Amino acid sequence: MTRVTFRKWFWVHKWSSLVCTAFLLLICVTGLPLVFNDEIGDWLDDGLPYASVPAGTPNTSLDHVAALSRQMYPGQIIVSIFVDDDEPKMVVFMAPSWAAFNADRKSGHWIKFDARTAQVLKQSKPLSQESLTFLGTMLSLHRDLFAGLPGELFMGTMALLFVVAIVSGVVIYGPFMRKLDFGTVRADRSPRLKWLDLHNMLGVVTLAWALVVGATGVMNELSTPLFALWQQTDVRAMLAPLRGRPVPAESELSSPQAAFDAARTALPGMTISSVVFPGAQFGSPYHYLLWAKGQQPLTSRLFSPVLVDARSGKLDGVVAMPWYLRALEVSRPLHFGDYGGLPLKIIWALLDLVTIIVLGSGLYLWLSRRNSPAAAADAELVASHAASLPALSREAAE
Amino acid sequence: MNRRGGSASRVWRWPMVLAVLTVFGLLSALLGQGGIWWALSWAALASPLVVILACVWMRRRAVVVADE
Repeated sequence: MTRVTFRKWFWVHKWSSLVCTAFLLLICVTGLPLVFNDEIGDWLDDGLPYASVPAGTPNTSLDHVAALSRQMYPGQIIVSIFVDDDEPKMVVFMAPSWAAFNADRKSGHWIKFDARTAQVLKQSKPLSQESLTFLGTMLSLHRDLFAGLPGELFMGTMALLFVVAIVSGVVIYGPFMRKLDFGTVRADRSPRLKWLDLHNMLGVVTLAWALVVGATGVMNELSTPLFALWQQTDVRAMLAPLRGRPVPAESELSSPQAAFDAARTALPGMTISSVVFPGAQFGSPYHYLLWAKGQQPLTSRLFSPVLVDARSGKLDGVVAMPWYLRALEVSRPLHFGDYGGLPLKIIWALLDLVTIIVLGSGLYLWLSRRNSPAAAADAELVASHAASLPALSREAAE
Repeated sequence: MNRRGGSASRVWRWPMVLAVLTVFGLLSALLGQGGIWWALSWAALASPLVVILACVWMRRRAVVVADE
């Protein structure tokens, strides 16, 4: 690598890092509790405990849970019912009306039922009136800075800069390390040199993990536009023949349990995790939309939408997911680290802590440059390495 | 092998080994069926952490030796 090329990559590394560092530190710090989302959520849960019933007690019917919800909130609509496969719970999401819900999803609220006894375990207020939970605050700071889609796109851009910083960091790692053994930490000279060595060592050791978590973070931030794209292309095309048909009224709706059973019969070996009622912006006005998933570690992250006619109760088809939504689904576990038990989460948290040190040491290296103009300080840093690298100078001369 | 090739392999040997182990660890828990694949994933993904401890420990020892 010539000296000019090196300086260019060094510049890319410096500026991509500097722009994203403050946000990346926030992302890493808030990501730490989010790794243990399930554990902390269970621990902070103040709902009633699940009933102790004999093992193998079957779930109550979705129709029963839907009827109970409508009794509790007469006049309201059911948006969806979530059926957990981890815990014996069903969660019914409701809203004052479809118009209110499609205008503002936070007008909705939820009721959590014991899936076996249909006992109400916990209820939320309308989401716009709910006070922020600890994990909700962490998630918002991590994902969108409380700014919705613009915040997601901004944080996604920061994550993209982080990926650029990693790639450029790898490019300049080679020249830096030519005369040094792997993992050398020169602690006996200046603190700046010690932290430079630590920055290089910690960064290169966690390189693949940081690259995967950074890139899947970018992907996750694109989930809103990607789902909107799918909605406006594939889903719209599929519903086009039905356009103009009258939308079923609530009294005409077929049984959600029958829709659930029809989907389960059509997809043996898959688990149905939720039923979205006709009328949701992200569904169909004529169908129950059921989300089915596989049962293996990877396939349990891959969802297939199933459409069941909401008047006749007949299965209308399994919708193919486009490649970009499959990529998004695969990128979720690789970002969250929640697919290999508690030890994997602990390793995830430790690697996150190492990343915080890499970011912090990078910032220190920049802040601790002498009071000379920034360009001179960089030149010094580059020179201090080039000087110990006759090969580099010779190459530059050639 | 020429000098440059030798130096590149010296610089990149450990980072490459750790990157391959990391990718293996990330995929083995995702594609494997629990059990041994989880254990392998934990071991592979913990390897960068072990290498960090080793590097820091060797530095400490080097400093102590230098002081004596």
